[in-house]
Formats: sequence, structure tokens, C-alpha cells
Amino acid sequence: MPARAWLWLGVLLAAIVVLWPRMARAESVDLQVFKVERSEEGLLLSFSASFELPRSVEDALIRGVPLHFEADAEVLQSRWYWRDKRVANATRSWRLTYQPLTRVYRVGTGGLNQNFETLAEALDSIRRSTRWKIAEPGQVDDDGKHYLEFRFGLDTSLLPRPMQISIGREAAWSLSVERTQRLN
Amino acid sequence: MTRPSRWGWIVSLVALAGVGVVLFFLLSLSTSNRAAYERHYAWLFWVNVVVAGLLALVILAAVVRLLLRLRSGRFGSRLLLRLVGVVAFVGVVPGVLIYTVSYQFVSRSIESWFDVKVEGALDAGLNLGRGTLEAQVNELGARTLAAAERLGEDGAQAQPLVLERLREQLSAREVTIVGASGQILLSAGSAATALTPDRPSAALLRQARSARVASQLEGLDDDANASGAHAPVGAARVRALAPIPSSRLALGEQDRFLFVTQVVPATLTANALAVQAAYREYQQRALARDGLRRMYIGTLTLSLVLAVFGALLLAVALGNQLAQPLLMLAEGVRQVAQGDLTPKPVFASRDELGGLTRSFAEMTGQLSEARALVQRSVAQVEGARANLQTILDNLSAGVIVFDRDGRIDAVNPGATRILRLPLSAYRGRRLEEVPGLEGIAQAVTRRFAAQLAGGEPGERNQWQDTFELQTAPEREKLTLLVRGADMPQEARLMVFDDITELVSAQRAEAWSEVARRLAHEIKNPLTPIQLSAERIAHRLGPKLGAADQALLERSVGTIVNQVQSMKQLVNEFRDYARLPAAQLSPLDLNALVGEVLALYVTEQESGRVRAEPAPDLPAIVGDATQLRQVIHNLVQNALDAVADQAGGAVRIRTEAALDERGELRAVRLLVVDNGPGFPDKVLKRAFEPYVTTKSKGTGLGLAVVKKIADEHGARVRITNLADDKLTAAGEPAPAGRQRGAQVSLSFSNFPKVDRLVATAAVAVARAHP
Repeated sequence: MPARAWLWLGVLLAAIVVLWPRMARAESVDLQVFKVERSEEGLLLSFSASFELPRSVEDALIRGVPLHFEADAEVLQSRWYWRDKRVANATRSWRLTYQPLTRVYRVGTGGLNQNFETLAEALDSIRRSTRWKIAEPGQVDDDGKHYLEFRFGLDTSLLPRPMQISIGREAAWSLSVERTQRLN
Repeated sequence: MTRPSRWGWIVSLVALAGVGVVLFFLLSLSTSNRAAYERHYAWLFWVNVVVAGLLALVILAAVVRLLLRLRSGRFGSRLLLRLVGVVAFVGVVPGVLIYTVSYQFVSRSIESWFDVKVEGALDAGLNLGRGTLEAQVNELGARTLAAAERLGEDGAQAQPLVLERLREQLSAREVTIVGASGQILLSAGSAATALTPDRPSAALLRQARSARVASQLEGLDDDANASGAHAPVGAARVRALAPIPSSRLALGEQDRFLFVTQVVPATLTANALAVQAAYREYQQRALARDGLRRMYIGTLTLSLVLAVFGALLLAVALGNQLAQPLLMLAEGVRQVAQGDLTPKPVFASRDELGGLTRSFAEMTGQLSEARALVQRSVAQVEGARANLQTILDNLSAGVIVFDRDGRIDAVNPGATRILRLPLSAYRGRRLEEVPGLEGIAQAVTRRFAAQLAGGEPGERNQWQDTFELQTAPEREKLTLLVRGADMPQEARLMVFDDITELVSAQRAEAWSEVARRLAHEIKNPLTPIQLSAERIAHRLGPKLGAADQALLERSVGTIVNQVQSMKQLVNEFRDYARLPAAQLSPLDLNALVGEVLALYVTEQESGRVRAEPAPDLPAIVGDATQLRQVIHNLVQNALDAVADQAGGAVRIRTEAALDERGELRAVRLLVVDNGPGFPDKVLKRAFEPYVTTKSKGTGLGLAVVKKIADEHGARVRITNLADDKLTAAGEPAPAGRQRGAQVSLSFSNFPKVDRLVATAAVAVARAHP
């Protein structure tokens, strides 16, 4: 194979590596409240996100597609010699569905289900969490090496398979926000 | 394994890996292994893309290389291109065909899932269900409102019995009277089934207060996706709440509400839920329609691309493999064409191409052997021919070969030398065309014809004859012994010898015999004649007169003188004929020359005779007396030759002749004069008796020299000198045309012991000049 072909191959690979993470990354969610506090119960997180469902997402919901929202908080200890160590992890997920038969929005979280007449009410119940326990009291040291990685957003990976492909590139579906905070 | 084939294998493996990845991709797609799919979809897709890109690059490179080779006209590239084209065609066309069909099939079948009628039907079904349920809710609300008003009008305290009757009227499961805050005051129907009857929710209470009646459907949840099982069918129920109007407007009396719960029929719930599930599924699929199509077609395209690329690569690899032995053969053929018959490589495979290369290698080997054989035999033939040619060239006899048409085919130098004609220039022409040879040519032709016609049986195909030949008027006659023979392919061979000298020798022998007899016959009467004449003079002289006496005296004197001279002549004849056998003994040639030249003191002083003896001359074996006579004869001859010349000079030289290895070959005596030389005619027969250029010579001098030389085993040569030879010898060339004759005597008999010494002396003399 000529040297020129290798050169072009290298350029192609480099382009893929550089452009890969930039695809489908758009933040449409604001974190209005983001508060981490230590208490006797442990590490507590309160947040409030503000977002509206884009038209296409709402359309899918009305057509009966269940939407999954997920909040994921991870406490990590930074290590210079290795990958950062995961100290604690907490996940909270919501499942939002619409019942065309009764015209009710339904939010399920954990084993709990709640019905709402309107979409706004249903979303309100998802947007906020207060005093969410992330870590046990003794789990997080006060040494300044720990940090919190928080992610909240629409989890498209739980959508029906073909839909994931058809919405793969649409920015409307990438409803998510990430936040990293150092714990003192 | 060669480098290109290794490359081919690597690329093929990459292609196979790509195909394997695609298959895994398809498998995970088709088995609905959702978790595996979700985990692997992205990297599988991109790995496939990367593999496809790599393959595309490889193929591009291969194609470019092939085109470059084709452009540079390299052997085999055209064949390779054709092979690749054929295999690629075979691989690609079905792939594209299947792809097209599959593409159509996939997109059509996906489209066929979605139908306006189906959608409409699902919508209608959903609406129907919804309408039915709403109707039920509204109806229960209305009836609850009516019942509450009736309860209020009755004014009576609500009795359990009344409530029970009401429950049956409303065909409800539970009828409850609740307080303003929802606390249960009286309940009917629920006691048997539940410890605590349902309480209306705050929202329902609020609604009931404001709108007089509130009704809602509850428990119609299909969390099938979440929990995996339908909610209990009986759990779906309609609840209605209506305030019971108070007839007595008593203060402090709390508001009361009639709360009715009615179970929705299980079949209705199930059907409605089924419709809803179907509707949802349909909508989801409709939403994902693009994705689905993109997924299937993407996979299809990717697998097509990989399959095509794989086919192309395999085509290149297979084409290479096919072309390899052909290229090998071509290279071999080229080498053979250039004459390189070294062993050729064999393509190690068991198919016909391998056999072809093997056969080719064997053929080359055989060719090489054959060529070596041919070269050997050619070398042998050439050697033989060279031998023959050398023999022919050095044959003293002349050889002429005629072809079937009688033209001269080959001539040896001997023929040219004997005939003194440039016969080589007449090659390809008839012998008759050579000037001077017409007569002999005709005679020879006749002889051959006679041989052909009257070849007597038992006789060999050859003839022999003697011809006299004079090639030019000024030349002497040659006596030729000609022998003719037939050769294969009707060629004819003519061999001839110059037997002139032989004839001359025979003549000399005859002369010697004649001389001996003449001497014998003539000498005997000579003495009586002389004695008789003297007696006549002695007896008659005194008796005669003076005049007569003088006449007598004169006549007798003449007779005596003539007899005397005749006696001398006869003696010379006798001497020639009866030379005594040589008494051979070692002697020094220089001393011998010195002895003889002592007789020519006056000539030496006048410069007419000069001796140039070589120093360190080896001794020879010879008879001193005879050799003395030889030298004497030669010097006398030379002096006679230059007698009339003013500047005539005779040189007597001795020298030792060496061969190329520096060994002594001969001791030479040279007598050189600058006289007129010998006429051409005489030169040949100079050694025959009575051949002389002198008016008063007997012609026996050189004959005696020849005879003595023969006795000594020495060689005598007479040559006429051209002026260049003389000047080359260092003599100052006098003005005018210089000629001369040289007689050389080469002695090659040396004393046995002295020979080594002589050689050593010569070697030393050469080393220290």
C-alpha cells in the first residue's frame, strides 16, 4: 500500500476521533437550583431543573411513547495514579406516560405512580428533587479530593429501539444537563 | 510465503472480520437481544464503517497499482485486470441485485405496516373506548346526583337500609356517605370486601363542591411496560361524588356527600386497554418508521459494501494467485528467449498451472542439456575441422575440393603454393576459369568422367596420374602427381604433389650413374690416347721438317691438353658419382671456414670476401674434408657470380638458430653475394648436375654441395635476396638496384655430449649479451 494511502487513512481516523464526542451534544436544560449539603443523614442533593418538552418529544409522548428521565449522581475520589474511584452512586428515574384512553399523564418513580391531568403538572413532579440522599454519612471524606458528578436528562436509551435510530441525530431529544461540583 | 500474498491474506482477514461484525450486528438485531444491541450498536456501526473505509482504501490502492502497472505496460497486468474484472463482476452483480431487491422489499414492507385505514380504525377504537368509559362516568355522575337529591329530599336520616337499596339501584359496588372532609359517615357494600372503604380524594371533593357532582374513572392503568402484568381487571372503577342537599338549613350541620363507586365491566376494560395498547404500539412504530427503515437499509448497505469489497479483494487476491504462475512462465520465457537456460522456478501447486510451470522448467532443463550437447558436438566438430584445416594448411600437397557442379569448394595453401596461383580467389568458380590451368582442368575432368563411366568393379573410386604443367611462360614446368577421388554428395577431391624435385632427384641419380659409367668408359681410352700422341711426337718429331715439326708439336699439344682437360672432367664426374661416405666427427665450423678462406687471402684483402663468424658457435658433426669442399665450392660460386661486378662482395656467415624455447635448433652457414642472383628457372634445379649459369662451369659444384649436405643431414636452401632483405641485414645499400643470392646450409646434427654444453653456452650468451 502506498504511503499516501496510509496518510489518508490516518486523517480519516483522526477526524473520527476528534468529531465523535461532539455529535449530538446540546444542552437545553437549565439547572436553577443545585445544592449539595452535608447533614447527619449523609450527603443530600437538592436540584431544580427547568425545561420544556420540545414539540417532537411531546408528540411522541402523546402518541403513547413512554419517556424516561434519569438523574444520576456520582461521588468520585480523584486519584492521580489511576482512574478516579467511585465512592457513592445514586440514581433516580422517572417514567412519564400518557394514557390516551383516559387522557391522563402518569409519572412513575420507584414503585410509585401518580396521575396528572396536564403535562405541566406531570413535568413539575419530575423537575424537582429536594434533599435527595446520595451518600451515607461516613462515606465521603472531607479531604477535598472528592467531587460530585451530576447528570439529569431524558434517557433516550430506554426508548424503543428503532426510535433511537430515527432520533439519533435530533437535538430535540437530547434533553440533558451535566454538572460537576467539588465537595469540600 | 511471498509478501504480496501475505498482504492479500491480511486484507482478506480484515474483510472477513468486517463481515463477521456485520453478521453479529444482524444477529443482535434479529434476535431482539435488546441489551446486547444497545451496548454494541454504536461501536458495531462505527467498526463496520471503519472496516469499510479501510477496505475501500485498500481496494483503491490495489486498483491504482493495477492501473499504473497496466499503464507502464507491465506483463500480466492486462490479464490480472481481466481476472479481477470477471471475479469482481461475478461477486458484485449478484450482490447489487440482491441489495436492490432487499431495499425495495424492506422499504415496501415497512411502508405496508402503516396504513391510513388501520390508523383510522385504531383511532376510532380508541375514541370508542374512551366514549364508552366517559359515558359510563357521566351516567354514574348523573345518577349519583339524582340519588343525592333524592336523599336530600327525603330529609330522613340516611339509613343503612336506604343506602343498600340505593347501591342496588345504582348497581354500584359501594355507596358511602362522607363528610365534608371526606370522612366516612355511612357505608354500604364495602363492609364485606374491605376493612376501610375508599375515601374520595381531595380533588374530587373540591370538584364536587364546585360542580355539584364529580365523577372520575380510576384504576384503569396499564403499566404493562413497567410492571409486566396488567392491573387486576376488577380494579377499574368509576367514582362519583355528589353533595347531598340539606332540606333543613340547620346551622352547624355539616355537608354530606354521596360517594358511589361502580366497577367497570371487565370485558370493557380489557377491550379498551387492548385498543389503547394497539394504538400505542402503532403510534410508536409510526414514529420509529424512519429509524426502522434507516436501520434495515443501513445494515443492508453496510453488508453490501463489505461483501462487495470483500469480493473485490478476493478478486484481486485470486487474480494475483492465478496470474502468478503465468507471470512466472512469462519471465521464464523471456529469459529463455534471451538465451538464459538456467533452471526455472516451479510454482508449487498441484493444479494445471503448477504442472505447466513444472513442465516448462523441465523443458528448459532439456533445452539446456540439448544446447550443451550441441555446443559440445559443435566444439568437437570445430576442433576436428580445425585439426583438418591445420592438416590441410600444412600439407605440402595441394588439395582442391570440387562441389557437384565442378566448382572449386575448398583450396588449401599447399595448392596455392604449388601452382603459384591465387586459387582461393577462384572459389565458387570452375577450374577451367583459372588462367593457366585450362589444360590440366580439362584433363582432370576427363579423368573424373572416365572414372565415373568406366569405374571398374573392385577398384577404389580414385585415380592417379602425372601431369606436366606450365602455368606461365616465364615459369618452369611443374611435374604434378594428381590423385582424384569421389567424395560424398558427388563432390570431388583432387590432391596433387609437386614431384618436380623428385624428378630432379631421379635425374641427379641417373646423372650420377651416367657420370660413373662415362668416367669409367672414357677414362680408360684417354691415357692410351695421350701416350700415343706423345709417342708420335717423340718418334716422329725429329724426323720431320721444322714446319711439320711445329705443326705436329702444336697438334700433339692440343691433343694432350684436351685429353688432360677431358681427364679432369672425367675425374670430376667420378668424384661426383663416387663421393666417399662421410666420416662424421665433431668439428668447429668457424675453424673450417677460416681454413678455407686462407686460400682467398687476396680476395679478402681486396674486400671481396668477408667472414662473419658467430661467436660461441656450437660444434657440429661432419666430415671436415667434404665440408671444406662444400665451403670452397660455395665461395667459388659466389665469387664467380660477382666476378664482373665492381662492388661485388661475398659474405660468409655462421650463426646458431634457436627455436622459440631458446634451445638450439640448427647451426647455419650462410654464403651471401650481391651478384645478379639466380634466374627463376635455374633456382629450382640448381642442385641438379649440369645446370649452371656459368659459361665454363661443369654444373657439378652445387650438385656436389647438395650431395654432401644430404650425407650430413643438413638442409640447403638457395634464395634470391631482394634489396629490402639485404638492407634489413644492416648492409649499407649501394645506389641502384641491389640484388643477390644466398645459400644457406643448416646443420642439425650435433655431438651428443656437446649439445648440452652448446645449449648452455647459448643460454649464457643470451643472458649476458
